[in-house]
Amino acid sequence: MDQAAIRATGLRKSFGDTHAVRGIDLDVPRGEVFGFLGPNGAGKSTVVKIILGLVQAGAGEVTVLGHPAGSLAARRQIGFLPETFRFHQWMHASEFLDFHGRLAGLDRDTRGKRVIEMLELVGLSHRRRDRLATFSKGMHQRIGLAQALLAEPPLVVLDEPTSALDPIGRRDVRDIIRDLRATGTTVFLNSHLLSEVEQVCDQVAIINRGEIVAAGDLRELLAAREVELRLGEGAEAALRAAGLEPVSAQLADGRYILTAAGDEDIARITAHLAGAGVAIYEVQVRSNSLEDLFVDLADATDQ
Amino acid sequence: MNLWVIADHTLREAVRRRVVLAAAVVIGGFLALYAVGVWFGYRDISTDPDLTMSMRRVIVGFMLQGGMWSLNFVASLLAIFLAVGSISGEIDQGTMHAVAARPVRRAHIVLGKFLGNLMLLTVFIGVSTAIMIAVVSIITGQYAERAWTAPFAMLFAAAILLALTIAGSTRLGTLANGVVVFTLYAVALVGGVIEQIGSFLDNPVTFDIGIATSVLLPTRALWDLAGAQLAQQSASTTGMTGGPFSSLNPPSGWMLLVAAVYLVLALAYAIRGFQRRDI
Repeated sequence: MDQAAIRATGLRKSFGDTHAVRGIDLDVPRGEVFGFLGPNGAGKSTVVKIILGLVQAGAGEVTVLGHPAGSLAARRQIGFLPETFRFHQWMHASEFLDFHGRLAGLDRDTRGKRVIEMLELVGLSHRRRDRLATFSKGMHQRIGLAQALLAEPPLVVLDEPTSALDPIGRRDVRDIIRDLRATGTTVFLNSHLLSEVEQVCDQVAIINRGEIVAAGDLRELLAAREVELRLGEGAEAALRAAGLEPVSAQLADGRYILTAAGDEDIARITAHLAGAGVAIYEVQVRSNSLEDLFVDLADATDQ
Repeated sequence: MNLWVIADHTLREAVRRRVVLAAAVVIGGFLALYAVGVWFGYRDISTDPDLTMSMRRVIVGFMLQGGMWSLNFVASLLAIFLAVGSISGEIDQGTMHAVAARPVRRAHIVLGKFLGNLMLLTVFIGVSTAIMIAVVSIITGQYAERAWTAPFAMLFAAAILLALTIAGSTRLGTLANGVVVFTLYAVALVGGVIEQIGSFLDNPVTFDIGIATSVLLPTRALWDLAGAQLAQQSASTTGMTGGPFSSLNPPSGWMLLVAAVYLVLALAYAIRGFQRRDI
């Protein structure tokens, strides 16, 4: 059995002269919450749509739980909340969920049970007989989430699932995502809200200009830190001898900024400097936030 | 099967968005007005000593033809309006994304929408033509024996317009699609008149141009078939026919075959167009 929930190889897609996706490789492990990030126009939505079979790839291969993306077998495994969360306004909430249950192939009894459960989950039980046209934006997003989870799919693709929600709604969605992970469901989360991604994701991939610029375990990616050191005489020679290139040139007052892969790396650098007889007056460790990483990577590829 | 789920959804949508109610109110009003017109018209012709029996039959035939022509026109417009944004509109609004991501074939989405709307048109044409034929029969005491075949020809024409409009909707935006389909419909309508003029003047080129428009969109030719059935008795007894609501030359059986092939090709084109379209 393919261990990847989603596997993309050499994925490309162009719209006329615009190259939206330029050779992406992606591996989304089963049972994890995977964050897919990138600035506006980076190609995120195109990749999501290719995974769902809404857009055909120009080149490359994508499989969803071992099935070719877009095939009926692949689509049976996916629950999807679209970014636009626009649904048929003339339908009642429970009727809308029942319609999607029928499309997903659920039998009448299962639909009846799941519709009630899902309305309960997203806090819309009291509005089950109301037309969607009377719903607020946040309620639309909630009912969209209920629709995505209705058929208990092993893979849930959430495109900006909290963009219209208030802080309480966002917390609820985070809790739902954590519960999904606990039941072994893979969640592919496309979000601009980096703090949210930081709180729930195990792995992330950052895309910019149609290419993956960073991917991997979130904690490992964030472990890379910047260290600011104030050093005495001979620092530059000692750093060069150790093969350490400062991020920035020597700042005033003997200050240097280095990149460290983690705590061990910081200890190794300071031990080397001390061993070389360089006086260490100050060490400041700056932890990377996902936002810093995101902005740095986006800036780096834009240059 | 998901084809029926989409067809059911399409039908429900038309009912819930009050398309059915609006059409019923408008057509109900029209039929009431028509009945009053037929009643007064027949009162005059039945008491006119200068009109022979066969001439009265022809006038009644024209009354029925004119009324049915109006119903056919409304059914054609309804077919276009129902389908004009059926695919592109849903993509633009974003409602298609969640549906197309489900395990449902795109061919089934297209065919489901076609069947759902066709069911609606079947009810519309069936009920409205039945009322009209009944009104004319009751008021005038005359019944065109083969009048019941006319609704089938009208439904066939509506099905073709529906398929063509859905096909356009897989490739064009709602407004552009409406303009293209309605223009084609108008060309076919005028083409019928050109065909009549060509036949009247015995001019083969003009006549062929009229025929060519029927191949471009065979809705007018199918109406001619319906009209010919309605006026059959008057035509056979007096030789009087033609005018804006019927044709001097009812289409041959070949035109039915052309129309059937047209319908199948339009649906195939619609399915192909949607399968290739990025949403």
